[in-house]
Amino acid sequence: MNKEVLQFAALFVVMVLVQVLICNHIALFNVAMPIVFIYFIIRLPISLSLSVLFSLSFLLGVTVDIFSDTPGVNALACTLLAAFRRPVYYAYVPRDDKTKDLIPSISSLGVGVYCKYLISLVGIYCFLVFSIEYFNFADIEEIVLLSASSSLLTFLSLLAFDCLIITKS
Amino acid sequence: MRNLFNFIIRYGTWFIFAFYVIISCLLLLSNNTYQQSIFLSSANIVSNSVYSLASEVTGYFHLKSINESLQVNNAMLETEVLNLRHQINEYKTLLADTLAADPAKNRFDYVQAAVINNSVRHPRNYFSINRGSKDGVKVGMGVVDQNGIVGIVNVTGPKTSRVISILNETQHFSVRLKGTNFIGSLSWKGGDPSVAYMEQVPRHARYHAGDTVVTSGFSTTFPSDIPVGVVMNRIHGSDDNFFILKIRLNSDFKALSTVRVIKDEYKAELDSLQNFDFVPSN
Repeated sequence: MNKEVLQFAALFVVMVLVQVLICNHIALFNVAMPIVFIYFIIRLPISLSLSVLFSLSFLLGVTVDIFSDTPGVNALACTLLAAFRRPVYYAYVPRDDKTKDLIPSISSLGVGVYCKYLISLVGIYCFLVFSIEYFNFADIEEIVLLSASSSLLTFLSLLAFDCLIITKS
Repeated sequence: MRNLFNFIIRYGTWFIFAFYVIISCLLLLSNNTYQQSIFLSSANIVSNSVYSLASEVTGYFHLKSINESLQVNNAMLETEVLNLRHQINEYKTLLADTLAADPAKNRFDYVQAAVINNSVRHPRNYFSINRGSKDGVKVGMGVVDQNGIVGIVNVTGPKTSRVISILNETQHFSVRLKGTNFIGSLSWKGGDPSVAYMEQVPRHARYHAGDTVVTSGFSTTFPSDIPVGVVMNRIHGSDDNFFILKIRLNSDFKALSTVRVIKDEYKAELDSLQNFDFVPSN
């Protein structure tokens, strides 16, 4: 258990650093931005109590906000994403005892289910974060364009990251 | 009472959820650019040290030193030009009198700074520099790079400051078509980081594509005649009496490296004049 906590603490720090030092400076074709730090929320164990999940997500969002000068944007989006996580998970995974204690990953869910779970959460997050940031549905076309392209880029980056972890272990 | 406790215990998780959502919304909506706390901006100690470390690694060492020396040189020359121009103006106004202008008084001074963190992809962009209140940087000072204006200091820490970039929808700059007296308000509308708009240009203003746009010098933030960008074309606004010019910005915001913060020695004096209310004495 302790080892797991340490692993997730390290993941938190690494994800925040990767986001603020590298990914925040990338805007492919001026529309696609990798938002990789939500990988931490995606990978947290499903059995984790909701209170802890909400707290960690909020903390993650605030940390990224402080670094990227977007107060409240990522904090709100992360907290909302945390609320979406369990329903999205059970939309693809049957609700039984075997699936209750899993840590979502390619090896535990299988490639197909994991990809669906990943793209759904990434898509939800991108749409949330750009809607909150622009805060104006007159810009809906831009929001949709940014969300779609950023979701795709984020999804591919995270999948690549997952493959790296698998080959390492 | 017991029912109330049971209710709170049962739905405790969702209370926590609501609490976080409310806190985030407060942060989001209290995004008042001049009242943000230093802890919640990239000017705080932790993010500053992380960014400083990263910029140490990413800055190309040779280019950096060469660039810095050029900047110092340039700053010296520019200070000289501005001060000479200022002296000439002063002589012009004092020529009728026999009083000599005080040549020792330099109005503008620069502080060199390196950009340690920068963004161009948000609707409201900021960047951080490695100079703070200990170096004499104060909130409201203008920031320029070798090509023109880039922003205004917004939060200062002891060794670091956060600057509102021109690429920030909430910020407006007073600008002028060079060689004329036509004033407008420069603002950025998101999207392309090299294009901004000059609004409130009077309908009778004459301009040509390629004309230079400079600072108006009406505020104490920037001296007059610092380049901003060039006119691309005209856009019809909603108001018939004014039009909007599309401006290509001189500065490359994706590659900001070394900038200068402008100190105006007259700022305190001019600001106090503006706040001065005449009270008749007895």
